Amino acid sequence: MPRNTFCGSAAHAIDRRALLGGALAGAALASDMTALNALAAPDVNKALKKKQKRVILLWLAGGASQLETWDPKPGATTGGPFRSIQTDVPGLRISELMPKMAARMKTTCVIRGLNTRNGDHGSAALTMMRGRRDEAALRYPDLGAVVAREFGLTESKVPDYVTFYTQTEGRSMAPGASGFLGARYAPMELTTNNYPEFIKKLDGITDLDHLERADLRNVLGKGFEKGRSSDTLNSQNEAYQRVRGIMASEKLFDVTQEPQKVRDRYGPTQFAEQTLIARRLVEAGVPFVRVGRAWWDSHGQNFETHQEMVPELDHVMATLLDDLGERGLLDDVMVMTLAEFGRTPSINASLGRDHFASAWSCTISGAGIKRGSVYGKSDPKGNTVVAEEVDAGSLFATVYSALGLDPHKNYYVGSRPIPLVNPGVEPIKALVS
Amino acid sequence: MKAPNPDTLKLHKDHSRQVMTFSVARAEGSDTAYFGCSDFKVYAGDLAAAKFEPKELFAHESYVTGVALAGTTLVSGGYDGKLTWFDTAGKKVIRTHDAHAKWIRKVIASPDGALIASVADDMVCKLWDAKTGKIVHELRGHKEKTPNDFGSMLYAVCFSNDGALLATGDKVGHVVVWDAKSGKELGTCEAPVMYTWDKVQRLHSIGGIRSLAFSPDGKLLAVGGMGKVGNIDHLEGKARVEVFDWKAGKQTAEFPGDKFSGLVNRLAWALDSSWLVGAGGAGEGFLVFFDVKAKKTLRQEKVMTHVHDFAITAAADQITCVGHNRIVTYKLGA
Repeated sequence: MPRNTFCGSAAHAIDRRALLGGALAGAALASDMTALNALAAPDVNKALKKKQKRVILLWLAGGASQLETWDPKPGATTGGPFRSIQTDVPGLRISELMPKMAARMKTTCVIRGLNTRNGDHGSAALTMMRGRRDEAALRYPDLGAVVAREFGLTESKVPDYVTFYTQTEGRSMAPGASGFLGARYAPMELTTNNYPEFIKKLDGITDLDHLERADLRNVLGKGFEKGRSSDTLNSQNEAYQRVRGIMASEKLFDVTQEPQKVRDRYGPTQFAEQTLIARRLVEAGVPFVRVGRAWWDSHGQNFETHQEMVPELDHVMATLLDDLGERGLLDDVMVMTLAEFGRTPSINASLGRDHFASAWSCTISGAGIKRGSVYGKSDPKGNTVVAEEVDAGSLFATVYSALGLDPHKNYYVGSRPIPLVNPGVEPIKALVS
Repeated sequence: MKAPNPDTLKLHKDHSRQVMTFSVARAEGSDTAYFGCSDFKVYAGDLAAAKFEPKELFAHESYVTGVALAGTTLVSGGYDGKLTWFDTAGKKVIRTHDAHAKWIRKVIASPDGALIASVADDMVCKLWDAKTGKIVHELRGHKEKTPNDFGSMLYAVCFSNDGALLATGDKVGHVVVWDAKSGKELGTCEAPVMYTWDKVQRLHSIGGIRSLAFSPDGKLLAVGGMGKVGNIDHLEGKARVEVFDWKAGKQTAEFPGDKFSGLVNRLAWALDSSWLVGAGGAGEGFLVFFDVKAKKTLRQEKVMTHVHDFAITAAADQITCVGHNRIVTYKLGA
């Protein structure tokens, strides 16, 4: 049964990364052992009965150009040099840089009418990760944290929210953040390589040592438990089991565990490898993985930049969708491409495009989204949205609905109800299948 | 013939345009110039006319990045991968070839007008019979992928003044010199500084060799581009020129740039070798003159447009720069 309340207690303040992080773990446990009660609540211990949905977010950091991807304007003065090509969806054309996705648009919904009104990297990234702006005294959880909370299983041996963002540019502007949901739903952030630093067993401890220590802890714990009843004791046991489980999940991050032919299929680039790991993670039950692909901020040489980066996106995204489909996961795993904004239709003297949030695009594939659909229309030069405008809030409401969540569901901060999206914001019903 | 002193460079005419002009060709002794533009069209315009009003000749299906004159035949190439032969006297298209699998970056004619060379992102330089349009050679000496497994690009090509040599330059800074007649590879040079791969911050690249020019005696090869870039969101690397003894594959002069940022998109030598001129830009443009022998920069002139190409007369007394929304003509020696 899914939890439908948020108590706002210190129970949600546990930081899993800190828990796993050596000295930090010790400090966290020593300072507030009651925090582990979060893992002991009976409601939590019962697995979520609904079919677990998962999300892979391909975060195109810096702002990919909609004109060179999902909303081409060939022949317009703003259109640039690329042609459009017909997709497998009648009437839908995308950039010629994406021939592989053109053959797979039946899996995908294109939203062309994004008007998010913010062309600043930092604040726009925060908005597009959360679906709304923070309040002065309230920090909202981002999409990953919400999905982690809604679809994470407490007995799971895998993390709930993983984010890859290896490049340094823009990383600090788009951090994963759990906001008022607390550190329990904060992401495991992988920034230096594809492998989590803190889940590996210390070199000086053998696996047998580790197991024997656990056995000793169990023996001592059982002795202590005799004649006592305590949620804290139970939660301690569960927390240790979870840590042990997550440590055992380290191989999920090891791309060499995949057959070479699968690795070859995704390709050798960092983005390809991280996306393959993301597939491994969601297949193992991780609810949310963000693969940050930086950096698309093409103020100079926009076309060269997109000529280099879009084919990689095209190949990796198409491979991911094929792979998920072949594994029977596409009905349960949503794949999104999103950024903080798009790029200006006007072309500057450096053959670049600048920041632009007035008429840009994103995509949603799989899960409960209406596939093979297009929503929103920009004008012939791409300067404005002329039909079916979408803001960050309605985009997120749609995503939640397509994941089977009620976007008006409330969390509670103290006694204050906080819905998943702001009051009055509705999903785009036409896009939810 | 002694070339005019770069100190005499003066702005002659400055025409505003609604489009970007990527390429220009001008017949010697004529005021008519041909332009390849961002509206996919090829134009002819009279640079001496009181009112400059270029006329559309024909169109491609994408940016037109190369125009070359071989006698009265104009050959254009574009990002649509097509080459079009146009009879400037009869004012009609002669033929169009699906010449390359990817973007054509530059089209030039040999000095005698017998050959047309085109380079494209399929990493092939193709030599064509200018008259018949038949392929003469396909020159393959550039890798299709960068060391980081992204598609490479083949930007630059030039003939030597006697037409015997051809040079091609790519994104990662690799230059190949070819025997234009046999199609055999004669030598290579490397200018890796002109390619910036940003692994840490942005995970993509910028730069590449954008221009090439043989010295009049064919012994030296000038290579233009941009130096290493810190923030590859912008064309902020210094405009850079290197000169090679191409037979030895050794750099003999380096002009790392100090005043202007951006790409050096076009290079040309004065016939007496007394100077080398480079043009290019980022947000705005430049013309820079070098004394290669003395390894000195002679003059650096700001141009009010990012210069994508220029046409220079044989006497080097007029330079017609084309670029972002402007066509600017300079005179020397007046």
